[in-house]
Amino acid sequence: MRILITLVVFCISCQPKKTETTPTDYLGLSYATTFDIISEDQEYMLINTEPWPKATEKREFAIKNPLKRVVCTSTSHLPYFEMLGSEDVVVGFPEAKYISSQVFLDRVESGQIVDLGNAQSMNMELLIALEPEAVIAFDSGGESNTLDKIEKLGIPVIYNSDFLEQTPLGRAEYIKFFGALVGKERKADSLFKEIEKRYEALVRVTRNLKEKPTILSGTTYGDTWFLPGGKNWAAIFFEDAGGNYLWKESEASGWLELSFEATYEKANDADYWIGLSTFETMDGLKGQDNRYTNFKAFQEGNVFNYHKRKGPNGGFDFFESGYSRPDLILSDLTKILHPELLPDYETVYFQQLP
Amino acid sequence: MIETQTESNPQKWKGIFLILFGTLIFTFFLSLTLGSVSIPLSDVLSSLFGKTGNDIWERIIIDFRIPKALTAILAGSALAISGLQMQTLFRNPLAGPFILGISSGGGLGVAIVIFLGIWLGGFIELSEFGRSWFLVFASAFGSFMVLGIVLIASFRVRSSVSLLIIGLMFGSAVSAIVSILQYFSRAENIQAYVIWSFGSLGSLSWQELYIMIPILVLSLLASFLLSKPLNLMLLGEDYAESSGLNLRKSRTLVIINTSLLAGTVTAFCGPIAFIGLAIPHIGRMLFNTTNHLLLTPIVILLGAILLLIFDIIAQLPGSESTLPINAITSLFGAPFVIWLILRKSNVNYRF
Repeated sequence: MRILITLVVFCISCQPKKTETTPTDYLGLSYATTFDIISEDQEYMLINTEPWPKATEKREFAIKNPLKRVVCTSTSHLPYFEMLGSEDVVVGFPEAKYISSQVFLDRVESGQIVDLGNAQSMNMELLIALEPEAVIAFDSGGESNTLDKIEKLGIPVIYNSDFLEQTPLGRAEYIKFFGALVGKERKADSLFKEIEKRYEALVRVTRNLKEKPTILSGTTYGDTWFLPGGKNWAAIFFEDAGGNYLWKESEASGWLELSFEATYEKANDADYWIGLSTFETMDGLKGQDNRYTNFKAFQEGNVFNYHKRKGPNGGFDFFESGYSRPDLILSDLTKILHPELLPDYETVYFQQLP
Repeated sequence: MIETQTESNPQKWKGIFLILFGTLIFTFFLSLTLGSVSIPLSDVLSSLFGKTGNDIWERIIIDFRIPKALTAILAGSALAISGLQMQTLFRNPLAGPFILGISSGGGLGVAIVIFLGIWLGGFIELSEFGRSWFLVFASAFGSFMVLGIVLIASFRVRSSVSLLIIGLMFGSAVSAIVSILQYFSRAENIQAYVIWSFGSLGSLSWQELYIMIPILVLSLLASFLLSKPLNLMLLGEDYAESSGLNLRKSRTLVIINTSLLAGTVTAFCGPIAFIGLAIPHIGRMLFNTTNHLLLTPIVILLGAILLLIFDIIAQLPGSESTLPINAITSLFGAPFVIWLILRKSNVNYRF
């Protein structure tokens, strides 16, 4: 299998270069560490430096011409196409019912995007019939049979590992990844610069705040309280929004698994409780575990979740478009923690639990 | 009553029960003292009697550790006793509380709620109960559906072996439906289901305990009344019938009682493995008796003590994390049973 992948990649990359050599300036990356783009003449080389967690090898994909037909596998890939105005490039998607974006739902409805069935075992026949130029996939667990099978069929698999990026801007910089794929790298670059500008502007304000409210996050599953580690994407947002995340000292970039009592001891008087899986009401929260009411944040009603925008089938738009818009997430959190800084701003993803 | 029925001297048994009961009290307090947050013993004691300088520690003891310890005691006793009764009923050392598909039924109820949760979401939001009650009811409903079917079957078949096989078949069929549901589910839902199947002692608050305690206590008391019929069954179904036992009635009562015990525990704590299967063997081997009048209290006490100890281990005292209780029960319990068997070189009790 490996040999075959290498051969495919090798053959793609050893095609003769185009003759018209107008040098393109290299639009570098400032934050992302899991991919790279190298430009040579008119060609781009997309390199996944960390295609999946703890990957030991790089993967390369040469882009000779902008892609016209791709299949995506995660809803978080879609907003980039929408931002770049290249919605028509996406021709297939597994489990399309979980999409939140109306633009893409309409395209599924009208048949311009084919639903490829179960995400873990995509319908191969439909996939082949679509003749995509590439499948943009993600692999959170190492090896994937489905993805190997797709490559065996001769369809290149491009790994998107945005979820491995540690910083909000690093994840958002994936717009350049998609820009390079569809031949709109300049547009991607300017869109990213806008987001970066807005993000940095907020951080400049919040960085010097004296009052930083304390923050608790997550909920229990079974006996365990899952909350973001101190180096997690979510924790960085909390800090950048002028908050004091109680577990910011932890070195974990993934999730912490704590006991309820340990969480309670540390966070019983936290000012805010932000990000609670799928809870949408205070009653629901109380209904799962009455002991949640012991927290000060619960008693004062300072409980916020990312459920404001939902797709028609109940998917949270936060998980779809949130990665691509860190400026909006940061504005939401800043509005929650320091409403005086953004008096006229209306939150996009977050809302207080009623 | 116990004294009159014992084969050897009643004094010895009194001592044994005193020791077991003392151990239970000791482990109960140990479990209140040990946890992720280190709380000095003096503060543990003073919060029990309502006077402590530290409100947070008091909350932790009263809202977290006491409910968890009580849950462990009740769940351990309930599973152990229902395992004992199932082993005798089917005269099979491999039987356990879940042999008739109780936990598979509970799992199916929970799986339906979790996996179809997207459609049920609105409904859950509307109900005043909240999610944990919904899971409890789903699991109880699943368990008792399976119980109902098994009971109907039990009226039609005479032999316990046939009933055992029917129960196993139901269990497999129900698990297959859960697999299909999982196949069509998203990773988050599968994770939620897997976490449920790890079992949990600490997620019960007092509200849930107020329901669970009376059911389990009544069922545990009923188990004492079933000891005599079970002793007769041990001698063989024909012998039991000829000595005047209404076999069908006793069998039905045993099935209902064990299912109530195992079903209630599964509904509130998830499927907790090993205890139900192993504690009866530990009881028989340690105390060399198959008399249910003695085994019933022994197994109740042993189940409570061991589940408390396993829970203390699972809490990893001093660290902020915890381990799933289901992993600990088997991981630490299995070597103990193996060691017991090897020490006695043979399991010399018969069914």
